[in-house]
Amino acid sequence: MGYMIGVDVGGTFTDFSVFDLDTGRLINYKDSSTPEDPSRAIVKGVQDILAQEKADADQVSYLAHGTTVGTNALIEKKGAKLGLITTEGFKDTMEIGNQKRPSLYDLQAQKPVSLIPSGCNMGVKERILYNGGIDTPLDEEDARRVIRFLKHKGVQAIAVCTLFSFINPAHERRIKELIEEEFPEAYTTISSDLAPEFREYSRMSTTVLNCYLGPVMKKYVHNFQQSLKDIGVQVEPYITQSNGSIISIKETIDCPIKCAVSGPSAGVVAATFIGRQCGASKVITFDMGGTSADISLIENYSPKVSNERLVEGYPARIPMINIITIGAGGGSIARIDEGNALKVGPESAGAVPGPACYGRGGTQPVVTDANIVLGKLNQNRILGGRMKVHLEKAYQALDEYICAKSSLNREEAANGIITVVNSNMVRAVRSVSVEKGYDVREFSLMAFGGAGPLHACEVAQELGIREVIIPPHPGTLCSLGLLLADTKFDLSRTNILDATKENILLFNNEFSDMLLQGAKALDREGIVQERRIFECSIDMRYQRQNFEINIPVASGVLTEETLEKALSDFHAEHKRSYGYCNENAPVQFVSYRVSAIGIIDKPEMEAKPMEPEAPLPKPIEVRRVLYQNCTEYLESPVYSRDDLLPGQSISGPCICEQMDTTLVVPPKWVLKVDRYGNIVIHYNEVR
Amino acid sequence: MVHNRPDTVTVEVIRNLLMSVAEETYGIIIRSAYSTNMKERRDVCTAVIDPDGNSVAQVESLTALLGSMLSVVPNIYEKFGRENIHPGDMFIVNDPFHGGGNHLPDIVLAAPAFCGDTLVGWVANIAHHADIGGKVPGSSSGDAVSLFQEGIRIPLVRIREDGKLNQSVMDMLLVNSRVPQERYGDLTAQMSANLIGIQRLQDAYERYGDVLISCMSELIEYSERRIRAAVAKLPDGEYSYTDYMDGCGEKYPDPLPIKVKITVRGNQMEVDFTGSAQQLEAPINVPWPCTKADVFYSVKAMLGPDIPANEGINRAIKVIAPKGCILNPTEPSPIGCQIDTSQRVPDAIFGALAPLLPEQIVTAGNGACTTTLLSGKVRQDSDEVFIFHEVIAGGGGACWQYDGLSGIQVNMTNTSNMPIEATEIEFPHLLARRNELKEDSGGPGYFRGGLGIQRELEILEDNVLYTGLGDRHKIHPWGLKGGKEGAGGGFYRVAADGAVTHLSNKVTSLPMMEHDIVRVITPGAGGYGDPLNRDIQKVLQDVIECKVSVEGARRDYGVVIIGNEYDGYQIDEGATEAMRQELRR
Repeated sequence: MGYMIGVDVGGTFTDFSVFDLDTGRLINYKDSSTPEDPSRAIVKGVQDILAQEKADADQVSYLAHGTTVGTNALIEKKGAKLGLITTEGFKDTMEIGNQKRPSLYDLQAQKPVSLIPSGCNMGVKERILYNGGIDTPLDEEDARRVIRFLKHKGVQAIAVCTLFSFINPAHERRIKELIEEEFPEAYTTISSDLAPEFREYSRMSTTVLNCYLGPVMKKYVHNFQQSLKDIGVQVEPYITQSNGSIISIKETIDCPIKCAVSGPSAGVVAATFIGRQCGASKVITFDMGGTSADISLIENYSPKVSNERLVEGYPARIPMINIITIGAGGGSIARIDEGNALKVGPESAGAVPGPACYGRGGTQPVVTDANIVLGKLNQNRILGGRMKVHLEKAYQALDEYICAKSSLNREEAANGIITVVNSNMVRAVRSVSVEKGYDVREFSLMAFGGAGPLHACEVAQELGIREVIIPPHPGTLCSLGLLLADTKFDLSRTNILDATKENILLFNNEFSDMLLQGAKALDREGIVQERRIFECSIDMRYQRQNFEINIPVASGVLTEETLEKALSDFHAEHKRSYGYCNENAPVQFVSYRVSAIGIIDKPEMEAKPMEPEAPLPKPIEVRRVLYQNCTEYLESPVYSRDDLLPGQSISGPCICEQMDTTLVVPPKWVLKVDRYGNIVIHYNEVR
Repeated sequence: MVHNRPDTVTVEVIRNLLMSVAEETYGIIIRSAYSTNMKERRDVCTAVIDPDGNSVAQVESLTALLGSMLSVVPNIYEKFGRENIHPGDMFIVNDPFHGGGNHLPDIVLAAPAFCGDTLVGWVANIAHHADIGGKVPGSSSGDAVSLFQEGIRIPLVRIREDGKLNQSVMDMLLVNSRVPQERYGDLTAQMSANLIGIQRLQDAYERYGDVLISCMSELIEYSERRIRAAVAKLPDGEYSYTDYMDGCGEKYPDPLPIKVKITVRGNQMEVDFTGSAQQLEAPINVPWPCTKADVFYSVKAMLGPDIPANEGINRAIKVIAPKGCILNPTEPSPIGCQIDTSQRVPDAIFGALAPLLPEQIVTAGNGACTTTLLSGKVRQDSDEVFIFHEVIAGGGGACWQYDGLSGIQVNMTNTSNMPIEATEIEFPHLLARRNELKEDSGGPGYFRGGLGIQRELEILEDNVLYTGLGDRHKIHPWGLKGGKEGAGGGFYRVAADGAVTHLSNKVTSLPMMEHDIVRVITPGAGGYGDPLNRDIQKVLQDVIECKVSVEGARRDYGVVIIGNEYDGYQIDEGATEAMRQELRR
């Protein structure tokens, strides 16, 4: 037995979720982050927790860590100095990209900053054909010349991506061998290892991003690993990936891009877990913080994954939980623009100067100011009483920036700010749900982050969603997610073939190779046979289309029967996504995917007895609150969440305050606490 | 209809909602269409239009397609009468002389959304189809003399009526394309997008009622207020500029003027093209809705990039072009390559206002829509044909604070390139040998113009037909404030034995043999400010990045670079100072 620890490093705080395997207790712990070396805060936190628990370091039986080191290196442009080797004649592929300009109308908008230093993008003589045949053999002398040149230039890493390497990796592999001979200390990634799929710009960009992060991540994780050893922690730590799984340090070093934007993915993993506790298989997650909101969709208890997204302006072709981020949070600034429209965000007041009501120098009204004025947030002290509120400063900001420039009075301005920011959220939720063919009304909205529960019910109401779920600790869902993840390797191959039974052997060849590769990866992680799951899927399209839909297929050997099933699933999914399908049209299989999953032990959360008859706690106060679509303030009791017992139920309007957030329950909504401490709120029109 | 003025908060909510409808329908077409043009190059635009026919919300995709979105519903009302529009209708059109907006390959589909008897708005989309018949595969030829040679003309007709497909119209269209299955897939995607858009508008009306419609009007007025405020800040007066087209192929070898006179009076702007070239018996005439879209784009980009693109912007602008000129041709003038001329319209307008807006205007970019069409038989023993259609970007303009971007689409076009790997998988008859930035093509300046691209495609079998369409081969992109012009583009055939033939800017159906190479060079962009004052370190960086040659650095910037690629380049500062003084004299 012992302790399982999940650590999520944020910009300001490092959050810990600790599960005591002996007692089944979940402990939350928080400490300031140490941005210059994030592992310092982790090590200190682990020591503090162990001291508090009077435990020894060797009792830590599991430790997983979501790191922002990669993300920060990308944002601050502090990655490795790298060189690129590609096919001769194509050295500018990264600069040309998809040749679209960054903004349709803004004539001076700029492209993302180049990740490759001047003159370090090089072509070598070689060319592979679309069918894997060799047009021009690799000129090894030319390759050596280029490698020596890059070494001479002082690069730390080399990205190799040549045309059609996804179908025939021979040249890339040989170049890698030559790098090992000529320049063994270089960090090298070849595209056919990392992302063997077609479309050269995406593949190249993924490879370049990986090399950019490689040396930085390598240094960080080695340091992190050593610091943990130094304090006596025996277990090998895990790192989270953007697909929501955890992975060993060794894999992190080879594929840092897979961890680069993992930040919010652990939160979605935890949301999935809480969805299971509540029996909610379809969930929209709504994580709203100070500057932005992250939104994703969970169906059948599994988060939707996308296979490509932009990272700092460059495409990264790796599976990631599909999370969309919009610039709308508690700190988003409201203003009246030149055409007299009320706009909120994406500019944010951040922590400094912060909302006007914090009295730290902020003068412009932000979403938090509006919530204070409306009575949704405590008008005296917030953040568990740590922060004093200056209500008059919020009034002043609204008067000066909104009321003076429009016909809105103070209440209309504050309520309008919430309406507009909620409509931005609604648009984002629609883009992951309605626009993908889902009926959003069938989903529950799970709100977390500091500001999610404040807005959740009103956003849900606007969308026609009738159930809102608030986890027990909405501020620490990401670190909780780290205790709930499995190990997962995502493998993929491209081989465009007609989806006919004549090709079954070929499909199975693709899969059997990857299944073997996946098994080897799980061997390396020490996952035993009975804890392995292999999930197979195929990216399909109608012949002549060029966007694929990913369809899960039965794991193992594809048969005529399972092929039929896969095809009918594809037609159905096409109809759901795009409104039509064509069952007579020929279908193509494009890419084949295998996820090799190793199941990791997870904590079992303790269910508490239900006490529906227990008397309701006494409200802390009764506050006047102005809700959306209401014309006047309503007297609303304010409860401390800690006082609520499982099974208890309270009708809105009411407010629940807790350390890390405030929950707003508008009229017609009824909250109920479940046996795990989740608050489930239902819309009840008749009452 | 009279509505109460909606409050500013509701308007913002409705704006979000309508944009999400436009974006959703756009996504459906991009992801489910069949032809490369739509799926990879994204030659598609979608919009929501109010019941009076004013465009309200448009997806930010392609500016060239704006014109159709602004005019299609008014044209439907004019032809059929508003009272004759019914639930379940969907209209189709491509002929700009009969209700369409662009050239014939751009097919518009528009459909009204009704709740009961109330018309609550329209959804419309336009997409470029790879082939709709005509004298050459891909429909757009460089030597058409009449619209009748450019494909099937579709006047405004109903493709769906009472909720059902009009199979006769569909059959008529399909039989006129060389690739009918592809047309079927693409049109289905377009129709499907509209049907979903209708559903979304109906849901919105059920939720908001007539407020939805009054918000649409308010959104248009919002854009109008913003653009008028921006126009009002310009000093009243007349501002003129004349830019030129190269000509058109071998038939019209001489430069063709695009002349503009812009009159600013208060918060209204008049843009007059009187004095521009007469219409030609060549396909570079610009149909009237396109000309208006070109002006719309230019004004918005200069004065309010963030103003929502809708009819409101149009209200502040009056456009004049005499009937019979290249920018307002008579029926049935050929228009297949109108985009090259359309690209010259923003150049002329920016040229006219550059003295007024030195911090807004960028120098002339590649100013073309450099198109490559290759077609042939899929297999020698079959009649099935392939049509490869690609537009290659070039230099982007420099401005008062930045170098121009290299290898990007400018102004009226913004299509993606097709990945080389996607190209060769789909067209195994082609082999790309090069796709790189063209050294020294960026106009020298204190801020350098962006570079053009050099693309080389080897043809792998006999008798593949090459059509190349472009401009700014002879008349190069201009610079500003002492910046020099960018390099021009060019089309070449490189035979297997190495012999190079320089081709005109409108090549039509030139047969290519096995191992011939089509070499396309796209124009760069003009520089901004005096190149002799450019930071010498930036010149050195350009040399290291192969953007400027050692000779170019000396000739254009007066910077003397010594050393070599392997050991590193350095600046000879003494020689540079002397050279710059010499050149300044």
